[in-house]
Amino acid sequence: MRRALFLFALVSSAASAQFPGLSRRPSVPPPPVPLLMGIDGLRAEFVAQSGSDKVFFGGDSAVLTAPARATLAAQAQWLRRHPEIIVRIEGHADASDTRDHALAVAARRAEEVRDYLVLLGVPAAQLSTVSWGKERIAVIGASQDALALNRRAVTVLVR
Amino acid sequence: MIARSASLVSVALALFAAPAAAQQAAAVIAIPPLTTPDEKATGAGSPAAVAWQASQLIASDLRTTAELVPVGPDQKDYYSYPEVTAPTFSRWRAKGAKFVLTGFVRSRPDGRLTVGCYVYDTLKGTELGRTGFVVAPEDWRRAAHKCSGIAYTAATGAPGIFDTRIAYVAESGPPSARVKRIAIMDGDGNNQSFVTAGDTIVLTPRLSPKAENLAFVSYVDGQANVRIVNLTSNEQRPLVAGSGGMSFAPRFAPDGRRIVFSMQAGANTDIYVADSSGGPAQRLTAAPGIDTDPSFSPDGSRIAFESDRSGNQQIYTMAADGTQQRRISFGGGWYAAPVWSPDGEWIAFARRIPGAGSRIGVMKPDGSGEKLLTDDALDEGPSWAASGHELIFQRAGPDGRPALYRVTLAGGDARKVVTPQDASDPDWSGVVD
Repeated sequence: MRRALFLFALVSSAASAQFPGLSRRPSVPPPPVPLLMGIDGLRAEFVAQSGSDKVFFGGDSAVLTAPARATLAAQAQWLRRHPEIIVRIEGHADASDTRDHALAVAARRAEEVRDYLVLLGVPAAQLSTVSWGKERIAVIGASQDALALNRRAVTVLVR
Repeated sequence: MIARSASLVSVALALFAAPAAAQQAAAVIAIPPLTTPDEKATGAGSPAAVAWQASQLIASDLRTTAELVPVGPDQKDYYSYPEVTAPTFSRWRAKGAKFVLTGFVRSRPDGRLTVGCYVYDTLKGTELGRTGFVVAPEDWRRAAHKCSGIAYTAATGAPGIFDTRIAYVAESGPPSARVKRIAIMDGDGNNQSFVTAGDTIVLTPRLSPKAENLAFVSYVDGQANVRIVNLTSNEQRPLVAGSGGMSFAPRFAPDGRRIVFSMQAGANTDIYVADSSGGPAQRLTAAPGIDTDPSFSPDGSRIAFESDRSGNQQIYTMAADGTQQRRISFGGGWYAAPVWSPDGEWIAFARRIPGAGSRIGVMKPDGSGEKLLTDDALDEGPSWAASGHELIFQRAGPDGRPALYRVTLAGGDARKVVTPQDASDPDWSGVVD
């Protein structure tokens, strides 16, 4: 499950990173003035063109994996085209972590993502971070798959 | 209430069924009903009614301990007012009681009640302790808890855990939209009240030693930050003003005036100490990595904390000024959330073992003598009872829903603490004045 998801993220984001035109259908051209799109539309476009708004981490780790870097490269490409968008990177930990360490390690994950996006040319002023520790569990359960899906950083378009 | 008394009954049975070694540790204490010189007045709040209720509460308090087995109260063990300070020791010796608790409830002209309690050694015929209070009739529970406290102290030498408060996070709602509120209850589960409204995520309430103030973490500013609330005035304020990174993991010093906590800057998290009434924070650790969950030793001279500077979470101690940092945990897995015991003898922790969940354990402050007290569960967040003989902690069920449990240092099964809602992050105060 986890591997399949990573693979999907890798393939789709790599495709959009190398051949940005491929992810757009010729019959539906991108809107010429993105600001006229509502935030929901922008979010949908961001996810479609970046492959995912999330990257995942190993246990107790804030190291960016190769699939995570590919996703972030695609996210950075979109964000550079949209300097008007304010972004909040939300770090999360899994439920097996202890309360306070979860807060700190989730903050570290959000910081890693922010730093990488800045490295790829996204203006730092566009980005903020917040740690939710293990307070917003996305997938319930103690299975390894569930834990892996909760160790994440989400790039949230605020406005 | 029904669930509570049912669980108490099962505890008493478990004690009787325990192995011989455990039976030796538990001494019998006779609790004949408290007496009163005012026998004419009856009805709710009258001395006679309060005397009977208080006797039952004292027995129920002591039944929650591992060290004492209360017998009584029984109406036929009634004694006269003068016999409060002159009990018939032979009678209690014959019943196998090592201790006897006597006492009285007397009405005062101002409408309040005087409650007095005495604890005796039935073998030696000597008084081991006494306590007395003047209380409003509706506050009789606190007086009874104080009576339980002197009985426990007489038998064990440790502070009683009955006139204490427990702060925790009350949780409700679906997992995706959990409502979290800071709640406080008496040590016996009574007098539940809420400190926060549930409109923002709150974490890790920590009571000052006498339960006058409470530090906790709130997302009210959009990120985790430590706030302090005075429990009398309800006034609330941030611990550190206008910090960049989040602040969390607060814990009061034994003097109640300082707070140790963590503050995050970028990918790094360090430990700081600040005056609980305001002022700048002083940095105590500077190692790259996550340093968190600081806890003072009871004499205030040292601080235990958790750090992943070695690669994963381990327990360290340092002097209160941040010098002499040294690692004390070396077992497999991760060690987290150290808490120094009130008698200074132990450091409790949560240990995560790969593939085996997370357990509560204790070790000596030099790292020796490690023992795990719980097994096979997702346990975390230990907090000591004032006695230093017992811990309260959080256990998550298979569905992720947390509840509070108590476990004694002597071992045995953990017992669930009944709360009206799901509960996490417990913190047990010292004995309230």
